[in-house]
Amino acid sequence: MTITTSSSTSAFYTTAAQQLSSLQSQVNAVDNSISSGNQYATASANPEAAAQMRMLQLQDATAAVDTTTANKATTNLQLADSAMTEMVNDINKAKTLATQAANGTLSDTDRAAIGEQLSQIQTDMIGLANTSDANGNSLFGGGVSGNAYTTDASGKAVYGGAATSQSLGIGGGQSVQTSLTGPEVFDITDANGNSTTVMDAIGTLATALKAGGTAAQTAASDGITTLSNGLDAVTTAQTVIGARESWIALNTQNLTAQSTARTTAEGQIGGTDVSTAAIKLQQLTTALQASQSCFVRLSSLSLFNDIGN
Amino acid sequence: MTSNLLSIASSGARAAELALDITGQNISNASTDGYVRRSANMTEVASSSTWSTANDVSLSGVVVSGIVRNADSFLQSEARRTGSDTAQANTTVSGLTNVETAVEDSGVFTAIGTFTNSFKQLATDPADSSLRATVIQDGSTMTSAFRIAAQSLSAAQTGLQGNVGDGVTQVNSLSTQLATINTQLSATAAQATGTGDVTTSDRASLMDQRDSLLDQISQYANIATTVQADGSVNVNIGSVSGPPLVTGSSTNTLSATTNADGTETLAVGNASVALGGGSIAGNQASLTKLTQISTNLDSLASSIATTVNTQQANGADLTGATGTALFSGTTAATLAMTTSNGSAIATAAAGSAAKSSDPTNLTAMTAALATLDPSDTMNDILTDISGSVQSATTTQTTLQTLSSAASSSLSSQAGVDLNTEAINLVKFQQAFQASSKVMQTASTIFDSILNLTN
Repeated sequence: MTITTSSSTSAFYTTAAQQLSSLQSQVNAVDNSISSGNQYATASANPEAAAQMRMLQLQDATAAVDTTTANKATTNLQLADSAMTEMVNDINKAKTLATQAANGTLSDTDRAAIGEQLSQIQTDMIGLANTSDANGNSLFGGGVSGNAYTTDASGKAVYGGAATSQSLGIGGGQSVQTSLTGPEVFDITDANGNSTTVMDAIGTLATALKAGGTAAQTAASDGITTLSNGLDAVTTAQTVIGARESWIALNTQNLTAQSTARTTAEGQIGGTDVSTAAIKLQQLTTALQASQSCFVRLSSLSLFNDIGN
Repeated sequence: MTSNLLSIASSGARAAELALDITGQNISNASTDGYVRRSANMTEVASSSTWSTANDVSLSGVVVSGIVRNADSFLQSEARRTGSDTAQANTTVSGLTNVETAVEDSGVFTAIGTFTNSFKQLATDPADSSLRATVIQDGSTMTSAFRIAAQSLSAAQTGLQGNVGDGVTQVNSLSTQLATINTQLSATAAQATGTGDVTTSDRASLMDQRDSLLDQISQYANIATTVQADGSVNVNIGSVSGPPLVTGSSTNTLSATTNADGTETLAVGNASVALGGGSIAGNQASLTKLTQISTNLDSLASSIATTVNTQQANGADLTGATGTALFSGTTAATLAMTTSNGSAIATAAAGSAAKSSDPTNLTAMTAALATLDPSDTMNDILTDISGSVQSATTTQTTLQTLSSAASSSLSSQAGVDLNTEAINLVKFQQAFQASSKVMQTASTIFDSILNLTN
C-alpha cells in the first residue's frame, strides 16, 4: 500500500478509495477460500500448486480404475481357487477309487463299476476345467470365449484356449495374471513317464477298469501314481493362485495408503487452513474497519467547517 | 501622494479580487480530472520617477502579471509513463486471464484423464460392449472439451483483436484533438507575456486539455513527447525514436493489421510501431500468448488422434476387421470421433477372430498413450498459461504501486488542496479588506485637506 503525504484533496479521496477497495478485495479472497475450501480461486494464484493438484486428482481417477481392475482380478482368482478345490476333491476321490481297484480280491465287475464312477469324475473334471470367469469367458483358457477343453472322438481332453492367461494392471505399475491356463494346471506325467493330462489319466484308468482282466489291476496301481502326480500339479497351481490373491491384497493395501497420502497432500497444497484463514479474516476486517473510520474522521476535517462564521 | 495611495489601494483590491477569483476557480475544479492548480502571479509595480530624482519614492501598487499553472513537467511525464505501463499490465492480466479461463474451464485436462483411464478399464473385459461404449463416450467428451477450449480461445482472440482496433481508433481520434489544441496554443503564443509557467488563463486551460489528451493517448500506447516553446507538443509513438504521431497541427494515422496467426501488428504509414506500454501493447502481448497456447492445444489434440489412430490400424476390432481411425481432425477445434460404435475399438491383435477378448492391441494402445502422456502435456500447457498470468499479475502489482506513487506526487504538486484554498480565501479576503481600508484612509486624508481650505 502506498503511503503518500499528499496535499491534494482529490489525491486524498483517490488514495482512500484505493486502500479501502484493496482491503475489501483481500477480505473477499479470504472469505472465498474459507467457503470453497480451496486455498486458491484460480490456477494463476499458484501455478505450481495447481499443477500438482491436477496431477493428484488425475492419480485419484486412475486409482479408482486400478481398484476396479484389482477387484476383477481378485474375483477371477477366487473363481479359479474354488474350482481347484473341487478338482482336488475329485482327484482324491479318484485316487481312493484307484486304490480300491488295485486290490487283487476285486472281481472284474467290481472294477467295471469303479471304472464307471471314474468316468463320472472325468466328466466332472472337464466341466471344472471349463469354468467361466467373471466375464463369461473360459477361466482356464486364457479368457477365450467358449470352453477351454473339448473332448475328441477318442474321449481325450483337447486344450483350445490361449497360450497365456489374461493379465490385468492392478495399479502402481503392477500387473497380475488373473488365472492359469489349462496346461499349467492339468499337464502331468503318468507312472510311465509319458505326458498326459489329469482328465485323460482318469479317463484312461476308467477305460482300463471297464475292460477288466489282469491289465485292469496293473492300470489301477499305475493310476495311483499318476493321480498322485495330478494332485501335486493341481495343489501347486492352487498355491500359485493363492499367492497371487495375497499379492493383489498387498498391492491394494499399498494403493490405499498412497490414496490417503494423496488426500493429505491435496489438503496441504490446495486446501484452506481454516484456522489461519479465520485469523487472517479477523485481522483484515479489523484493518478495514479502522481504515473506514480513519477515512470518515479525516474527510470530516476541513477548514471550511471553521471559517467564514 | 494621496491620489497615488488611492491608485495603489485600488490595484491591491483588484489583485486581491483576481486572486479570489482564481481561488474560487481552484475550489470549483477540485475534483476535475487533469485540472492543474492555478495561482496569481503578482508583481510589484514600481515605475521610476519621470525626473529620476535621487532617493525619489515612486510606488504604484501591484499587478497580476499572469496566471501560474503549477505543473511540474517531470512529474507529469513520470505519471504518464508509469500510467502507460500500468495500463499495459492491466490489459495483459485481463487478456491472459481470459485465455487461462478458456483453457481451464473447458475441462480438457480431466477429459483426457478420463479417456485414457477408460482404455485401462476396458482391459478388464475387452469384448464388453458397455465398456467399449464408455471409451467412445469418454472420447467424444474429450473432443467436445477440446472444441470448447478452441472456441473460447477464438472468442478471446476476437475480443482482444477488437480491443486493439478500438485502441487504435481512440489514439487516432485523440491525436486529431491534440493537433487542434496544438494549433490554438501556437496561435495564442503571442499572448504569453510572462516567462516559465506564467501564462494567461485561456492558455492554462488549453494546456490542461493538452496534458489530459497526452494522458489519454498514453493509456492506449506509450508515447514520447516534446513540448515546443509555443506550448504545442510533438508526439512520437512507441519511443523517442518511434514514428511521429502528432507534429504541431498535423497528425499521422496509426493502423493495425491482423496477421495470419491472429496477432496484431501496428504501423504509422509504412513505419512499424513496437509499443512498450499502453493497453494496445497489453492486448498484443495477450494475443501472442493466446496464439502460442492455441498452437500447443492443436498439437496435443493432433498427437492424441495420431497415436490412437496408428494403434487402431495395428489391431482387429470386435468384428475381426482391421481397426479404422477413431479420430478425425488435426486441431483442437476440428478433433472429432469418427464413430459412435464401441465395436470399432481395435483391442485384439491383428487377424483375431470376431468377438475376440484378446487384449494385445489394447495393451499396446494403453502403453502408447502412457508414452504420449497427454495429461502431462495438458498440465504443462495449463501451468504455462497460469504461470504467465501469475507473473503478469506480479508485474501489474509493482507497476500499479509505481504508477499510484507517481500520480500521487503529481496530484499533490499540481492538484487542488481545499484546505490551502480555504487559507487563500481568507488571506485574499483580508487583503481585499485591507486595500479597502487603505482607500478609506486615502479618502480621509483627502477630506481633511479639503476641510483645511474651508
